[in-house]
Amino acid sequence: MEGTTRSVGTSALRVEDTRILSGTGRYADDVKLFGGLHVAFVRSPMPHARILSIDTSAALDVDGVVAVYTGSDFAERTHGISPKLGPPSYRHEPILALAVDKVRHVGDPVAMVIATSRYIAEDGAELVDVDYEQLKAVANIDQALDPARPVIFESIGSNQLFEMTHTAGDVDAGFAAADVIVRETFSQHRVAQVPMEGRGGTAEFAAGNLTYHATSQSPHTLRAYVAESLGLDLEAVRVVNTDIGGAFGLKINTHREDLAVCAAAYWLSRPVKWIEDRNEHLLSSGQAREARMELEAAVRQDGTILALRGDLVIDQGAYVGAPSPGGGHAGLVANLMPGPYAIGGFELHARVIASNKCTFNAYRAPWAIETWSRERMLDVIARELDLDPADVRRRNFAPNDGSAEMFSGLTLLGNSCAESLERALEESDYKALRESQAAARAEGRCVGIGFATYIEAAPGPKNTRAGGRPMHEAAIARLEADGQLSIFTSQAPHGQGHETTLAQVAADEFGVPMESVRVHHGDTANTPWALVGTGGSRAATMATGAVLHSSRQLKAKVLEVAAEILEASPADLRITSGVIHPVGVPSVQLSLADVAAQAYLGTDEEIDESENVLEVEAAYDGGLGGWASGTHLCAVEIDLQTGRVDFDSYLVVEDCGRMINPAIVEGQVRGGVAQGVGEVLYEWSAYDDEANYLAASFMDYLLPTASEIPPIQIVHLENEPNEEVFFRGVGEGGLLVAPAAITNAIEDALAPYGARIRHQYLPPAAVLELAGVIPQD
Amino acid sequence: MIPAQFDYVRATSAEHALQLLGEHGDDAKLLAGGHSLLPMMKLRLAMPSVLIDIAGLPDLSGVRRDGDDVVIGALTKHGELAASEILEREAPLVAHAAGLVGDPQIRHRGTIGGSLAHADPAADLPSALLASDGWLELQGPEGTRRVAVDDFFTGYFETVLQPDELVVAIGTPRRMGAGWGYEKFTRRANDWGIVTVATVGGRVALGNMGPTSLRARATEQALARGASIPDAAELAAEGTEPVTDLHADGEYRSHLARVLTRRALTRAAG
Repeated sequence: MEGTTRSVGTSALRVEDTRILSGTGRYADDVKLFGGLHVAFVRSPMPHARILSIDTSAALDVDGVVAVYTGSDFAERTHGISPKLGPPSYRHEPILALAVDKVRHVGDPVAMVIATSRYIAEDGAELVDVDYEQLKAVANIDQALDPARPVIFESIGSNQLFEMTHTAGDVDAGFAAADVIVRETFSQHRVAQVPMEGRGGTAEFAAGNLTYHATSQSPHTLRAYVAESLGLDLEAVRVVNTDIGGAFGLKINTHREDLAVCAAAYWLSRPVKWIEDRNEHLLSSGQAREARMELEAAVRQDGTILALRGDLVIDQGAYVGAPSPGGGHAGLVANLMPGPYAIGGFELHARVIASNKCTFNAYRAPWAIETWSRERMLDVIARELDLDPADVRRRNFAPNDGSAEMFSGLTLLGNSCAESLERALEESDYKALRESQAAARAEGRCVGIGFATYIEAAPGPKNTRAGGRPMHEAAIARLEADGQLSIFTSQAPHGQGHETTLAQVAADEFGVPMESVRVHHGDTANTPWALVGTGGSRAATMATGAVLHSSRQLKAKVLEVAAEILEASPADLRITSGVIHPVGVPSVQLSLADVAAQAYLGTDEEIDESENVLEVEAAYDGGLGGWASGTHLCAVEIDLQTGRVDFDSYLVVEDCGRMINPAIVEGQVRGGVAQGVGEVLYEWSAYDDEANYLAASFMDYLLPTASEIPPIQIVHLENEPNEEVFFRGVGEGGLLVAPAAITNAIEDALAPYGARIRHQYLPPAAVLELAGVIPQD
Repeated sequence: MIPAQFDYVRATSAEHALQLLGEHGDDAKLLAGGHSLLPMMKLRLAMPSVLIDIAGLPDLSGVRRDGDDVVIGALTKHGELAASEILEREAPLVAHAAGLVGDPQIRHRGTIGGSLAHADPAADLPSALLASDGWLELQGPEGTRRVAVDDFFTGYFETVLQPDELVVAIGTPRRMGAGWGYEKFTRRANDWGIVTVATVGGRVALGNMGPTSLRARATEQALARGASIPDAAELAAEGTEPVTDLHADGEYRSHLARVLTRRALTRAAG
């Protein structure tokens, strides 16, 4: 890279913030179209029931109600959609916007009322009379596996949707040679993504084209599904993202309400808007995480893990997500489970089941059961063998020279787990922590230290991406007629600051100040196709690589034009702070605006026609890729009278390669840790044993506030694999590993009481039960 | 989360409010701070056809001394209670509990009369005033009557307040220098208490241990007999039937009641 600007590596202020912090962002609810109609959905109060009849007449009588649609309208006039990611053997029923004949979870949309205002729409929704015949529900994994329970999807004929077995290495030999076999079950509760801005959008159909103003992580996929659902040409549908107030994976999938809103606009030829309220959001936007992993480890007395067997069940809820099905990451779990450790053999039996709960969607590291259960198991092994958990990890780390391969054949290129663990122990003065723990215990206090290590495929080595992960990503670079640089990315940023980071990268590559670069995103009419958009921590490597290459190629074109004008060789030209000059001749200058003017408007016959187009689209396939990785270490103190858990310290040592913008990296890490704290101590999308939903308000679904999040110390390792794109993703690692570090610390604190944490959710009562202060439920 | 349709009337005096209540009866709700009522209306758990806004009524706000009591206007906001010098000196338990209600925004809107009339057993002020041996002044078409806080709460969100009555004032005995304690266990900083315990002058009140704020009578009796604080606190949950919800089961709540009672009594004695 050349030029005087060196923006990459600096915490440049976020370009987005001026508009977002001054209240001039444009979110889904800010789209107000003339003559627009509003939607309220009628939702099922029952987990599982047959719809006997729906009477919409009273709603239609309300002044201002324009239309009421029910499932039969969608069954007759739209096509169901299906997942595009995940294994082909994953069984599902194509998804329609509204429930037809049956409801399958509390909150399942049964009717949509469209009116001239949201107020009238809600009044109308109150008057829709649905007659249900309640069916026995399937509320959890055990009930789903019980053949006596009813089947949720008759066409599938079973509540088991997917099953796979994956074997690598010599598992039997490992178990035969073991000194000890350690067994434990780790279950993870259902939580929700809960972005500040919920779902919603405004659709309009005019002049044969349907435009959907959406809040989507995957606008191109949403566009394809809308077209497919309505039987429209892809070219007739355009998705335009607004600013997005968070998503965390929730907005990767196309939601049924998206399809409903677009259909209504198409049928009525009027703008139709739906913005979900918080109650609706918690009830029906979807949830994440719920899974159970039974693990069996063959271990030597010194802590060496010879082989591992896992039995995983993922609870998808009722309707499959599209493009990303809830259990679609089971294969990823199989590949990632060994993590940075050299384990001799691994076998995973995985199943996905359906239950009468809301759809399982991606949530920041959707495969996280793998890291949580593995890092818990390492601590359990340490406790069983009376070893230090740091030593058990040290004993099992694969070498970090790039030579090590996982069973799946993935190299461990770029992972620095061993280094990050040592750094975390050193930075926190582990020995002193253990000494003060001993002193605290002598005073009767309950103090624990926990840590955990992760690798994150961001993007992962090349062959991870073949396993169903979308490969390349494209970007467009254009020199505008005034000499400014425009970048068009397929990312759909919703808090990641891509308008800033991609501008930093393009500015350095091109040789212009960051202020001369504008990053465009979210409009399917002018951004390259992408299946995912923003998700899977792809941007740092994939989007950056695409921007790097398109900027580089554009620069070459620009220099060719400049060379014609200056009668010089392109190789002798440089761009410095936006000015083109021959090497060593700073007095001869040409601005990018001059070049653009010549190319777009000029009459210079010397300039080749083909060079007039100063726009380049280039793709990047991730190159060799590599892992992001790190270690979290925290110390907690527990009040054994109330069960309250307080953090004494929280340390993150993370490695996402070279940082484009350290402030943004740290924001991603802190946000992930905060969600991890929430997941373990506060958040639970609770259903009862009959699948009734219990957490439909913020009084019941507890999100941590700033008061609950400890100060987080962050140390960066910046290992750069030998590649041209040195940046790796950082979106998911924080939340991926935080629950393991926190639960390990709590178990460590409660070790004198013989506690064993098997379930991730630990409200104060559960902590006291583990400590034996109050009886177990 | 849009309320059903309702009419809105602004009352110009307590008498006007009572007249409006008389006209609309059960269909009407009084609106003061609105911090309990409006969320219920948005969820359509409450669908009053008329809201009578009393927030601007003169003379129903403020803290003053009256003989042996401190008298608090029903429209006094939690933030004003927390900042009141009179309360801080003479009924510090009430000031302290008011300072723990919700967050600053809530404390600048919510009123003491609203909190008591709403009768949420998990709220802070009902237990604080129950422990304080407080009283309420209720105004109805026939005039005013005084009800002890002990007799005010009848059930979950239920009180002796009649549909045509208005809480106009709350009183509590002046207790200069008396030891007091207030313990509130929450999961997050701004939450309702999972359990709260208030104590002053040998009275102990529990929040969220049943359908109403209630007295820990066995503990009070043990204290009166001269039992030690730990022994008395062990009896705190006796006779209670705390609910099980997402945050805690009844057993955990009973445990917390004992722990927090011990802490509150220890603080009061210190």
